[in-house]
Parts: sequence; structure tokens; C-alpha cells
Amino acid sequence: MEHEMKFPPPAIPGYDNKFVLWVSVILIIVVLYSTYLHHFRPQILRVPSNTDVSTWTNPKFEETCVYDRMSDAERAKVRAEGVPGNTLGDILFLDISSILVALLCFFHARKHYGKWMAFCFLIGSFVFTGLQESMWILYGRFTGTSAMVGLGEQVYGTYWFTKGGLWFFETPVSMCLGWFYVAYGCVWMASKALPKSGLVKRAVLGGLLAMTVDLWMDPVATSPELMSWVWATGDIIRIFGIPQTNFLGWFLLIFVFAILWETLPLWEKRLGRAKATGYFFIVVIAADLAVLAFQYPWCRALRGILVAMGFQHGLQIPPGW
Amino acid sequence: MWRKIWKHKVEFYPYFSIYLFWFVGSFLSSLRVQNRPGIVTLGLITIPSILLITIAFVKTYKELPAD
Repeated sequence: MEHEMKFPPPAIPGYDNKFVLWVSVILIIVVLYSTYLHHFRPQILRVPSNTDVSTWTNPKFEETCVYDRMSDAERAKVRAEGVPGNTLGDILFLDISSILVALLCFFHARKHYGKWMAFCFLIGSFVFTGLQESMWILYGRFTGTSAMVGLGEQVYGTYWFTKGGLWFFETPVSMCLGWFYVAYGCVWMASKALPKSGLVKRAVLGGLLAMTVDLWMDPVATSPELMSWVWATGDIIRIFGIPQTNFLGWFLLIFVFAILWETLPLWEKRLGRAKATGYFFIVVIAADLAVLAFQYPWCRALRGILVAMGFQHGLQIPPGW
Repeated sequence: MWRKIWKHKVEFYPYFSIYLFWFVGSFLSSLRVQNRPGIVTLGLITIPSILLITIAFVKTYKELPAD
């Protein structure tokens, strides 16, 4: 990052402070309202109950990946006790630790890129991932369908998160912040490891780095013991019990966001800081929709390849997960 | 070495963040997962990432100004 951007944009205190203030105020209002809706008016967004899994629809408990991974005893336990590890202590730990770790990365970004660029990364990535995840979650929940296309089994929706104190629409704030520090950390490390490579190469490496770290995280977090998020069955390829669309999403989001953010100083040169900021956020939201739309042809093409190869059921890699 | 890292600790915050994500989020959590004996071994997948992170860490350390 730093290697191409020899001169991070200088501070414009009047604009930077106003930008930080207004964006923070808007974000805090959205987070507070989303949190209120999630915890106190769950019927509006049809938030699945953590205590009674028999009420789940789109998908039902029996139509989730975690159900496939459970023994009969585990299924009975979840039916009786609900989602495990959903205590106030767990939720506070998750929220507070993610805020602290995100702050560390923010301090690093501010030191190297200045307040404006650092805040654009923080808020941009927060909104980018929060909107993307919430759109997926609500789309699956309200339609019972997904970009995923089944092969030998039905698709019943997408996924949702079960744990979180603060929420941004239907995505826990801890996940949005987690995405910020993983994306920032991985893109930074890719630029350190390959200092002479171009922007696209570094963005690819950053995306791959985050994706491989996530390859271990997701099977653990979605295990029957934790159930931090729950996937509907039906994707044509499941890797360690997780639909491939998840890993594709991780890679694409970090790759695309890294490129957009690093282009920000060029936009500033052409348009000025205020217009460049607006342009950045418009493009971020448009890219969000584009990544979402890309999943449709991707899943259909992948299904076509598997069918052409003679598969009659979705692949599970490794078998039995 | 540790004194130097501490003095320039901000430079290492991204590494610390990813390390926490990897160690607490994946490794410690996977110890709680009982019904999949292979889940800790699954971490082998992250070896290339850990190598790359180590290379980046060493480069960052070498680029620090001399005390």
C-alpha cells in the first residue's frame, strides 16, 4: 500500500474533523437502531430465536449445515437448550475485544495514511461488509432462496449470525470490525511481503491470505459446539462444512475493497477531498451489489461444470464434513 | 529485540490483530470443538498464511530505525 502511495494525502483538519464527526454520528444512529430492532423488535426482521430452534424458517433447523454435522444427541441438546454459548459474558467479550483490536489497526492506519484515509478504510470496510452480509442474510430469510443452486438437494435460504450485542442491520458489529482488521492487516502484510508488486497482485495476495485464515475460523465458529453463525444447506460445494460462496465472498470483498481504497488518493487529486469521499462510498455500495450479483452466474457455472462431470450431488470436501 | 518492538509497537498492531484472530478465534476455539477430532489439524491450511505473515513481520522489524 504505502509503497505505491509515496505521499499519503496531507491532513485537511477542517474537512477531516467534520467528516469523522458526521459519519460517526450516522453510523452510531444506524447501529443503535439496528440493535434495538434485533433485540427488542425481532419480529420485524424475523430474527431467528436462539432459544427455540423449532421456530426457525428459511431454513428450518433440519435444513442447516450444522444439523448435518451433528450427532442425534447434539440435535436433541440444541432442541432443548437452544444455541450454545449465547451468554451475556460471551457477547460482551466478542464486542469489546473486536472494538479494541480494530482500534489498534485504526491507530496503525492513521499513523501511515492519515486520519481521512484511515477513517475511509474503517467506515468503508464496516459498511461494505455489513451491507453485503445483511443483504445476503435478509434475502435468504425473506425469500427462502439464495444465489446458491442445489445439486441433488434443495436450497432453503442463506445464513445468519446468532451472537452479537451491537448490530449493523443484521450483521453483528463485531463481525464488521473483524472484517476491518482482517482486511487491513492482510492487505498491509501482502504489501510488506511483496513490496515491488502492483496493486492488483497485492490485492489478490491480501484476499487469499484472509481467505486461508478464514478457512480454519469458519468450520470452528459454525461447529455444533459454537454455532456462531448458521448456514442453510444446498450449496454445490461445501468445504469443511462451509458453502464455497463464503470463501469466494471473502476473497472478492477484500480484493475489491483493497483496490477501491488504494485508488482513493487518485480520486482526491481529480475531484477534491469532499467529492472523492462521496464517490468512494457510492462506488463501495455499487461494488457490494456487483459482488452479490456475481455470485449468481458463478454458482450456475460451477453447477454446470459439476453436472458435465457427471456429479448428481453437491461435493463435500473432505467427505463427511 | 523486545525493547525495540515495544518502542515501535504501533508498527506491529496489524500482526498482533491477525495473530489474535488466528490464535483466539481459530486455535483456542477449535479446542472447544469436541466432535471433530481433525479440527485442530485443519489449522495446517493456514501454514502458508503464517509463513507470509512471518516474512512481513521480519521485514517490518528490519525496517525499524536503529536505536
